[in-house]
Amino acid sequence: MFKRFDSSNDVSTSTQVKSSVQRGIKSQITTSHPSVTEEILDAFLPKKPPLVQYKIGPHLMLYCKQIEGSGNGDEPIFFQHRDGPILPTLKFVHKYPLVEFTKVTVDRGAIPYLLGGANVMCPGLTNVGGEMPADSDEGPGLAKGDGVVIYAEGKESALAVGFMKMSSADIRKKNKGTGIELCHFIGDGLWDTEEIN
Amino acid sequence: MASVEEITTPVAFLYCGACGMPPEYCSYSPNYETHCIKWLKKNVSPADFLKYTASSNSTADGGEEGGEDAGPPPPSEPWTTKERLVAFYTKYQPDKLDGIDGILEKYAGKEDKLFNALVKKYGPEPDDPYYYGAGSGDEGDVADKMGALDVKDTKKRRGAAAKKVKQVDTRVVVQKISRNRKKAVTHVVGMDTVPGIKLKEASKAFSKRFAGSSSVKDKEIIIQGDHLEDVAEMIVNKFGVSGECVFLDLDGEFVAFV
Repeated sequence: MFKRFDSSNDVSTSTQVKSSVQRGIKSQITTSHPSVTEEILDAFLPKKPPLVQYKIGPHLMLYCKQIEGSGNGDEPIFFQHRDGPILPTLKFVHKYPLVEFTKVTVDRGAIPYLLGGANVMCPGLTNVGGEMPADSDEGPGLAKGDGVVIYAEGKESALAVGFMKMSSADIRKKNKGTGIELCHFIGDGLWDTEEIN
Repeated sequence: MASVEEITTPVAFLYCGACGMPPEYCSYSPNYETHCIKWLKKNVSPADFLKYTASSNSTADGGEEGGEDAGPPPPSEPWTTKERLVAFYTKYQPDKLDGIDGILEKYAGKEDKLFNALVKKYGPEPDDPYYYGAGSGDEGDVADKMGALDVKDTKKRRGAAAKKVKQVDTRVVVQKISRNRKKAVTHVVGMDTVPGIKLKEASKAFSKRFAGSSSVKDKEIIIQGDHLEDVAEMIVNKFGVSGECVFLDLDGEFVAFV
């Protein structure tokens, strides 16, 4: 999604996020990542100054935090494609390593492919080294369409961000095909964007 | 459970200065050997350096400590430039060993350039046992076959390439262009080579100072009015550019500002 993103060309102007939309973002994140409480989110999405959103293409929104000082710069923290899950940018995930987003781990053999922007195939999650939240009777692991942060076996920092194309139960059962579609990865256009003006 | 305070305080995450990725992923960058390792050596503690290069290194299981099976124990300090050169030429061109002193003199202060050229000409630099332990080198091939993924296969590397550092020497030129007979305009070219300055900001600062309109056009700043010396002075004082990098265009001659 951001493979060929360039902040000087591809973004349109910014608009302030309406407070209703901001509340919506908060609640969405809290539902899909239960460990991230409202309190924590309040620190990242304060009412003042409000978030700012940039449109990238007709269906892609980038939610940014205004940085004081340096005049115009806005730092991307979340993004959303169409009505999909609201996903954090990787720089944000690295900056706040204690925030527990819903995460999966892939087998280390998948790393070079993910760094090129490829999607995560089921075997990367089911092999030794891959990890997904368990499916138990209390609740399913991950449903189709859930946003996840992707870590690699043996590495401390997040590698990519994406959403599930199949539920985790399906992935374990079928073990074939694309499991997670990758939206943002280390080294892509969004990663290189520190500030948008 | 960490408190909300702890969770919401930002961490100053260190990214590799060469490829921009977290250092643990550097080995996936196509320029790992040429750029990342060098940067990591300079900027990261030796313990961390060993940790980050462990995956691409055969001696990941503590070979550095086990000096008994692999020859002399690791030295207590990293190689000096001369030692690096000796290692290089010993590996690739032993008959040039005598010329090393001359090379050192010639490239004094420009060692980075020297090693870049050498790596380009001959190949990867031999490993410094201070960093890699006594047993690197041949064992690297064994690790190749053993690793589940051949990260050493450089064609497979897809991570971020090293950023090409554009050698921008800071160089600012201030010119006066006559608009009408009376009116003049001051052109400032090259403010974008000044690190840490945004053109818009500089332009605003100029217009405030000179009470004249100032605009940014194609990386040039145009200030209404004739303010040659004042502009140069402001650039030196306010923006921290050294006087040697600022040139005044006096009748077609570029004069460095004192």
